[in-house]
Amino acid sequence: MFDFLRSFVAVLLLALGLAGIPVVAAADAVTDGLAGLADRSFSRKVEAVAQLGASGDQRAETILNALLDGRLYVRNADSAVVIGEERGKAFLVADPTAGAEAAEAAIADFTKITVNNRMRGAIRGALGALTLFSADAGTRAAAADAVFKTPTADMLPLLDKALARETDNGVKRRMERAWAAVAAVGAGETAERLAAIETLGSFADPDVRSLLGGLAVGNGEVAQAAGLTLRRIDESLVLWGAVGNVFQGVSLGSVLLLAAVGLAITFGVMGVINMAHGELVMLGAYTTFVVQEAFRAHLPGAFDMSLFVAVPAAFLVSGLVGIALERGVIRFLYGRPLETLLATWGISLILQQLVRSVFGPTNREVGSPSWMSGAYETASGLVLTYNRIAIIVFSLMVIGVIALILRKTSLGLSMRAVTQNRRMAGAMGIRTGRVDALTFGLGSGIAGVAGVALSQIDNVSPNLGQSYIIDSFMVVVFGGVGNLWGTLVGAFSLGIVNKFLEPYAGAVLGKIFVLIAIILFIQKRPRGLFAPKGRAVEA
Amino acid sequence: MRSAAGPIVTAVLGDATGRIVVGLLVAAAVAVPVLNLMVPAGSPLHVPPYVVALIGKYLTFALLALSVDLIWGFAGILSLGHGAFFALGGYAMGMHLMRQIGTRGVYGNAELPDFMVFLNWKELPWYWYGFDAFPFAALMVVLVPGVLALVFGWFAFRSRVTGVYLSIITQAMTFALMLAFFRNDMGFGGNNGLTDFKDILGFNLQAGGTRAVLFAASALAVAGAYALCRVIVASRLGRVLLAVRDAEGRVRFLGYRVEYYKLFVFVVSAMLAGIAGALYVPQVGIINPGEFAPANSIEIIIWVAVGGRGSLHGAILGAILVNFAKTYLTGAIPEIWLFALGGLFVAVTLFLPKGIVGTVPAFKFGGAGGGWRWRRLVPARGRSEERP
Amino acid sequence: MKRSIRTLVGAGALAAASAWGAGAQAAGDTIKVGVLHSLSGTMAISETTLKDTVLMLVDDLNKKGGLLGKKVEAVVVDPASNWPLFAEKARELISKDKVDVVFGCWTSVSRKSVLPVFEELNGLLFYPVQYEGEESSRNVFYTGAAPNQQAIPAVDYLMGADGGAAKRWVLLGTDYVYPRTTNKILRSYLHAKGVADSDIMENYTPFGHSDWQTIVGEVKKFASAGKRTAVVSTINGDANVPFYKELANQGIKAEDIPVVAFSVGEEELAGLDTGPLVGHLAAWNYFMSVKAPENDAFIKKWHAYIKDTKRVTNDPMEAHYIGFNMWVQAVEQAGTTEVNAVRQAMYGQRVKNLTGGVSVMNPNHHLSKPVLIGEIQSDGQFEVVWNTDGLVVGDAWSDFIPESAKLTADWTFPWVCGNCEKPKYPVN
Repeated sequence: MFDFLRSFVAVLLLALGLAGIPVVAAADAVTDGLAGLADRSFSRKVEAVAQLGASGDQRAETILNALLDGRLYVRNADSAVVIGEERGKAFLVADPTAGAEAAEAAIADFTKITVNNRMRGAIRGALGALTLFSADAGTRAAAADAVFKTPTADMLPLLDKALARETDNGVKRRMERAWAAVAAVGAGETAERLAAIETLGSFADPDVRSLLGGLAVGNGEVAQAAGLTLRRIDESLVLWGAVGNVFQGVSLGSVLLLAAVGLAITFGVMGVINMAHGELVMLGAYTTFVVQEAFRAHLPGAFDMSLFVAVPAAFLVSGLVGIALERGVIRFLYGRPLETLLATWGISLILQQLVRSVFGPTNREVGSPSWMSGAYETASGLVLTYNRIAIIVFSLMVIGVIALILRKTSLGLSMRAVTQNRRMAGAMGIRTGRVDALTFGLGSGIAGVAGVALSQIDNVSPNLGQSYIIDSFMVVVFGGVGNLWGTLVGAFSLGIVNKFLEPYAGAVLGKIFVLIAIILFIQKRPRGLFAPKGRAVEA
Repeated sequence: MRSAAGPIVTAVLGDATGRIVVGLLVAAAVAVPVLNLMVPAGSPLHVPPYVVALIGKYLTFALLALSVDLIWGFAGILSLGHGAFFALGGYAMGMHLMRQIGTRGVYGNAELPDFMVFLNWKELPWYWYGFDAFPFAALMVVLVPGVLALVFGWFAFRSRVTGVYLSIITQAMTFALMLAFFRNDMGFGGNNGLTDFKDILGFNLQAGGTRAVLFAASALAVAGAYALCRVIVASRLGRVLLAVRDAEGRVRFLGYRVEYYKLFVFVVSAMLAGIAGALYVPQVGIINPGEFAPANSIEIIIWVAVGGRGSLHGAILGAILVNFAKTYLTGAIPEIWLFALGGLFVAVTLFLPKGIVGTVPAFKFGGAGGGWRWRRLVPARGRSEERP
Repeated sequence: MKRSIRTLVGAGALAAASAWGAGAQAAGDTIKVGVLHSLSGTMAISETTLKDTVLMLVDDLNKKGGLLGKKVEAVVVDPASNWPLFAEKARELISKDKVDVVFGCWTSVSRKSVLPVFEELNGLLFYPVQYEGEESSRNVFYTGAAPNQQAIPAVDYLMGADGGAAKRWVLLGTDYVYPRTTNKILRSYLHAKGVADSDIMENYTPFGHSDWQTIVGEVKKFASAGKRTAVVSTINGDANVPFYKELANQGIKAEDIPVVAFSVGEEELAGLDTGPLVGHLAAWNYFMSVKAPENDAFIKKWHAYIKDTKRVTNDPMEAHYIGFNMWVQAVEQAGTTEVNAVRQAMYGQRVKNLTGGVSVMNPNHHLSKPVLIGEIQSDGQFEVVWNTDGLVVGDAWSDFIPESAKLTADWTFPWVCGNCEKPKYPVN
């Protein structure tokens, strides 16, 4: 409601500002445009959208928004266009021009107006023109970007006005970009266009690059200037491309780290060749799904918080399953690490099938909270997606917490004691069985926590674990079994190397090179990057 | 008998186990084809072609399991990448069979296999040369896996990569090969692999007679490989290997060049795996990069462990039983068979730690025959295991 | 000693006995339908739904009184996404279980793996998934789309004004035969439309590829050259979810760079928040959102059968629906389930499809179907933005690959051949 009022005021201002458009004419434009939307042809509909956008009428904004959301319908009987809304089983329709109360109707009598990409672009452009004067800075910025995407010469006076009024520096910059785009493609003086291209040159992002690329075709002064600016932008993009590569490598590394860090405990510290590790990760991802379902059902408003609940829940679920496995199966196999491979492989098959039977074989939807969606884009086109940033930070937090547990708590002390010398630890009064269970539970719980993060970027399906298990083993072994620090360094170096190879060699060859590199590296350092120090010839 | 037939025969047939295993395999090599081809279809003794194909496949897996048991059970080398050697042997055979298709492919191109025609290859890549000749292909079946094992083992054993590190790099090897073979640009048919074979040495692959011969060849190959492994294990070299398995450092300090012993047995094992792959491909009718999948290699380990590590007939038994269970369960309880198979693995580990052969008395061919040697073949437990 | 031999032989006999098993009791009172879809492993995610679809159709048929007065029984096996196991299971279904027809396979390689088995034993396979073409076996009916029923109409649409008049093309695919062939066909089609090689980018990734940062970044860069760019995706299976998540996060909007996919349907979208993906496209022969009485009935039946009203339907399910009904009609017409008779009765068989039209089986074993192009909506469904006026005949051999353009597939006299340049006559 408040938004509505604001936009009403904005449009009123707009209408006053653009005294050239009489109110009566606007009403006609709205009715005409509306009729055009009922047409089947997309070309006619696009025209109608432009007509509505040019009307400057506040109702046009409501109509266009409804169209964008797929809430605009045509009554089959008389081709009248209405705004429809499904409320449960009921279907309410309202006349968008009259602002009358919504009335109930039968949905079968109406046909939804189909919107395609072309129209969506046109609608955003039209809405951009209508919302340049919105009271909300975000809306104005989006409007400026929409204008930038669909630059037409007649937008120039509108942008001039908006620029003059703008107080927010960020929004102003976006409007300048839009203004330059409009001026550059517009039919103005060559000098004016050249100046606009110069301005565009200061925005070195891919969208501008794309725009300039379009202008650089052919001969003439404008094309030449555009070509020059384009090359300048490309140069700066190369540099930022390298930075982007590092980011992507770190991001891949953090995923590898998360996948491997639980294994670094169960396999690295305890010596259990835990083939079910991937499935413990998968359980964490499914826990996220269950938690989110609960949020969707009971607390839809707090959905953004769901991951904060999912992390401890996943830790508990996977951790408890891990403890159950340790007590039920693995504890009988200590000293026989290869047998643990066989048993945990069997367990992994069982867990996969269990999840398949309970949740079905298809992917489950795990949503991203809004604070993890989207990306931070620098002016130079460097894209840092929020979910990747969050995962990098999260992975470092996880490894930090584990290091703290191992170093600073009495449980950690017992763990280290038991793994170093089980009998001596037992003789000192440490309940080794309990410590084993808790250590395995910790490793498993961490695997579950990794599942929460992986659910944000990958499929949540029964196969989730399988796709990470081999990489996890590679990371742990590469880093050096039993060394948490090695796992950390191993994961990030593999990630970065992989991402630097990928643009040249392609995704597959890049990965093959990394695998060969691991094989060769192990020849050089047969006990991994951070080999345990000691005199033992054979551990 | 022992004195009359020489040391090799003694090593193989000197005890009851050897006689039973070789006897059963040779009997199967004769009986199954006869019962399939000679006995009319209505008779209860008739072996349907479907069963011939199935057991033929199991036998190639048994050969593969033997090759793994030779290095894992007797030299302590846990290879998580043995599927790679199997697949390479299979590809060598598959390439020969592809070349045999000639103009009978869908595009009728005499020079190029179908997948190359529609991926715009203009000429046959050099590494396909020679595969139209069976002797060359047969040589490659053992040579390619053998050379790979030689190079890989040379580096790994010389650098003293052991235990779980070795296991993981063998896994990396097969994983890298899988990714490579998945690439269509490699010229091995990508994901689809090699298929649509027509005949082998001029005999139609779909004919019952060819199938029966392939079956017999597989059974005899398993028998031969079993004999070879017995000879190796019983020799002086075999005893050094056992010592390496149990205490590698000590053997090295005694002056043995451990890496050469390991390398020898690793290469032999890879070649056996290659032969298994070559026999597998014509019977199954397809070879594709899925065979390189690390999970497949882990499964081989499981066959051996279920049968009983360190007893060669255990590996054969394990491969056949686990695969039979898989065939049976995927048909009988398709929706939940993974519970049964997974449960089986857990149960075997917990309740039959020495595998079926080591635990179930019926399969423990000890006693009268060749007891003194046999006891040494039962795997040592305890401190000898590789520990990460 | 004796005991051990006996046990060993006993185990062998037991194995053999159960392997022979059911063979003898196959005859007579029931008609058996084999279902050869992976229920475990990587492909279970897609194929399990198809198994349920066939079971539902069988169930439905039995409720209506069965076929030829007999009950129909489904035999389900699990080839576990393992290609050689597909061949083994196909043999088991035909030889041991004596099924009359098999509905199954998803990936090209699984079909290639079972093909020799079906041809050797003269079985009948209905293959329900869109595929690369270049095949027409006497023993397989292809009910999914051929490239000319999916890829080419989609590219045409994107070239047109309504699709955004794309001038520059990115062909992204998983590295296997379907994307390779489709892209080969598309490249030569684009050449014919005057698109230069410098305006085409082709990229292949392995199965299950999950880190799309670099590639999406490259697409973005490629698209910033001043020409309208569209992406044609033949990315397979579970690599799609991370791909679309990355697209959404890097802010690629359908208005700027539309992505049209041939392997993404309602089922794949079920694992995604489609809000940021609105407007990306898919080309299929069926969408769940199509309003038609047959479709409504089908969806209702499906929800009742699977006991979950949230489950979606998709194109391969429709393919099985058409294939199954065609087979039933052909069996009724032939009066027997004998493969040769049924095959002859299949040609020209007409069945109402779920999008309000009638699909026809052609003598090249491919269907005539309508082509629909849909845009992703925020509710995980597609909205049709374009469709063919009539039916498109599936091409076994593409006109855009020189070696295959000259081949004809026709299994009615006098051709009796799936890949010939001139008529061939039946030998027996």
